[in-house]
Amino acid sequence: MRILLVEDDAMVGESVRHGLRQDGFAVDWVRDGRAAELALANEVYDALLLDLGLPRKEGLEVLKSLRHHHNGIPVLIVTARDAVADRVTGLDAGADDYLVKPFDLDELAARIRALLRRRAGRAASAIKVGALTLDPATRAVSYHGKPVQLSAREFALLGAFLDRPGAVLSREQLEEKLYGWGEEIESNAVEVHIHALRRKLGQEFIKNIRGVGYMVPRQP
Amino acid sequence: MISIRRRLLLWLFAGLTLSTAVAAVAVYLRARVEAQDLFDYQLQLMAAAFPRQGFGIAAAPPSEAADEDNVVVVQIWDASGAQLYLSRPGAAAPENTDLGFSTVASPGGSWRIYSAVVGDNVVQVSQPTRARDELAASLALRTMLPLLVLVPVLMMLSWVTVGRGLKPLNEVTSAVGRRSADDLEPLPDRSLPREVMPLVAALNRLLARLDQALSLQRSFIADAAHELRTPLTAVRLQTQIAERASSDAERTAAFAQLKSGTERAARLVEQLLALARTEPEATERALMAVSLGDVARQVVAAQAAIAEAKRVELGLSSDAAVNVQGDSEALRVMLGNLVDNAVRYTPSGGTVDVTVSRDGSHACVAITDTGPGIPPSARERVFDRFYRHQSGDAQGSGLGLAIVRRIAQRHGATIELADGPGGAGLKVVVRFAAG
Repeated sequence: MRILLVEDDAMVGESVRHGLRQDGFAVDWVRDGRAAELALANEVYDALLLDLGLPRKEGLEVLKSLRHHHNGIPVLIVTARDAVADRVTGLDAGADDYLVKPFDLDELAARIRALLRRRAGRAASAIKVGALTLDPATRAVSYHGKPVQLSAREFALLGAFLDRPGAVLSREQLEEKLYGWGEEIESNAVEVHIHALRRKLGQEFIKNIRGVGYMVPRQP
Repeated sequence: MISIRRRLLLWLFAGLTLSTAVAAVAVYLRARVEAQDLFDYQLQLMAAAFPRQGFGIAAAPPSEAADEDNVVVVQIWDASGAQLYLSRPGAAAPENTDLGFSTVASPGGSWRIYSAVVGDNVVQVSQPTRARDELAASLALRTMLPLLVLVPVLMMLSWVTVGRGLKPLNEVTSAVGRRSADDLEPLPDRSLPREVMPLVAALNRLLARLDQALSLQRSFIADAAHELRTPLTAVRLQTQIAERASSDAERTAAFAQLKSGTERAARLVEQLLALARTEPEATERALMAVSLGDVARQVVAAQAAIAEAKRVELGLSSDAAVNVQGDSEALRVMLGNLVDNAVRYTPSGGTVDVTVSRDGSHACVAITDTGPGIPPSARERVFDRFYRHQSGDAQGSGLGLAIVRRIAQRHGATIELADGPGGAGLKVVVRFAAG
């Protein structure tokens, strides 16, 4: 899952990026409102973490213009402004959730997962596709009832497939889900991780659509 | 405790009693003069009523149980001086006085006497003066009685009037008394008497000043809490990352981050305290002669190591004999903040110059740097609390220049921001009245 973090404070931004990467998110970090809008134009992000007091363009303005252009990306406002009026304004401007500083890294990750779950239209935390169960909160995966050990990248890759079962994802799209800016991508990283997943879950679990990409088929 | 009402009544009572007494005396004296004239006329008439011819000695009328106060004694002598007649042998009326009116003191009291020559005889009519005095006194008493009745009535009226007059004051008192500590709305000042109005107006001005000071305080606390949230967020996140670290290298890096995060929070708290100490309400140390050059030397010495590590050339040129009236501790904080800013924002290889000089009647400290400078549009705002010119400036507390301005104001100094030499960097000039 790829997250855009908009935070003007260097220390907080650095820590959030670091922590969320440990949780398996790909995180891009920008420090002001204009840079956020430029980054959002790519439409590769699964969620937006937005500070309100931003230089160059206020967070609320970024959010309003986002919603004005019918961009439905899940938005979590992360700010030091804790007044009820601020929360109401933020949520009414189109934010999906509101988190007040100082916050807990685990809570932040949980709220992001909740946003992604709601976007995918699921009520339960665990994702089930056929015999496979993936719980983003505990990062546990089981196949036919037996636990499966996955690396962080493999987990993120599987998460990207299960987020939209039946959709074909290109190699570039998968890379975007896995890597934030500045993270080194090995040339055939996606293939290597898919190979590993197939080894653990069976060859047929991930289908190769020649010339287009990969797919986990929807299963009854 | 002094009671206005009691004091007023006391004075009123004293005044009324005194004026009643004065009036009584005046009435008495006046009445006595009138009585004198009246009684004298009576004596005259009586003397004139005796026959002008000589008459033989008549038997004296029997002595009655006379009203001693209201007696008239008549004596008649013939030309030879023999007493022809004495109306009351028992009465101790004096004899042989001059013709006309006279007042004679005798052992039995003082007498008013009228003597006249009637025909061949001398007629003398005497009356004790006590009668006149008593008449005057009773007249005076009768005049005073209504006044004496009036005194308690007036006192009652005053009691009520003073009470009613003080009612607005009581209302103001209870209005103030009912107030809770955070209710600083002005007191109602409509339909107040002129005497109470200034008090309420002064109270309202005080309330307005208090309200202003409190809201400043509140906004400062809110700002401070808000500003503390960001470094605390960083510390909390850094702590969690340190907890999660799985290798020693990761842990070391995380702890280094955590350390700089706590240092930043500590610095912010220090600056907040410094700002609180420069609050105008804080107990002020007396200003005394301080050598600006000495203060600048101490500040530059303290910053030298940091500048050296950053490879910023930091130097001082000082005119030794520049003194100002000041608080040396506060001045050190002020110059320290300015030099700290200059060193912080000047890139490696840059220069920071501190110059202490005398400019006419002013003492000046100038700090010039070769950093990015501050555009003119932002030069006023950088002195606001918690304003940071550069976004994401993780080290700055946003309070340094606010503290500088406070201290400058306390010293009556002005601060001027300008472009550095050659239009690059920043030049900060603090101008004091030389002392």
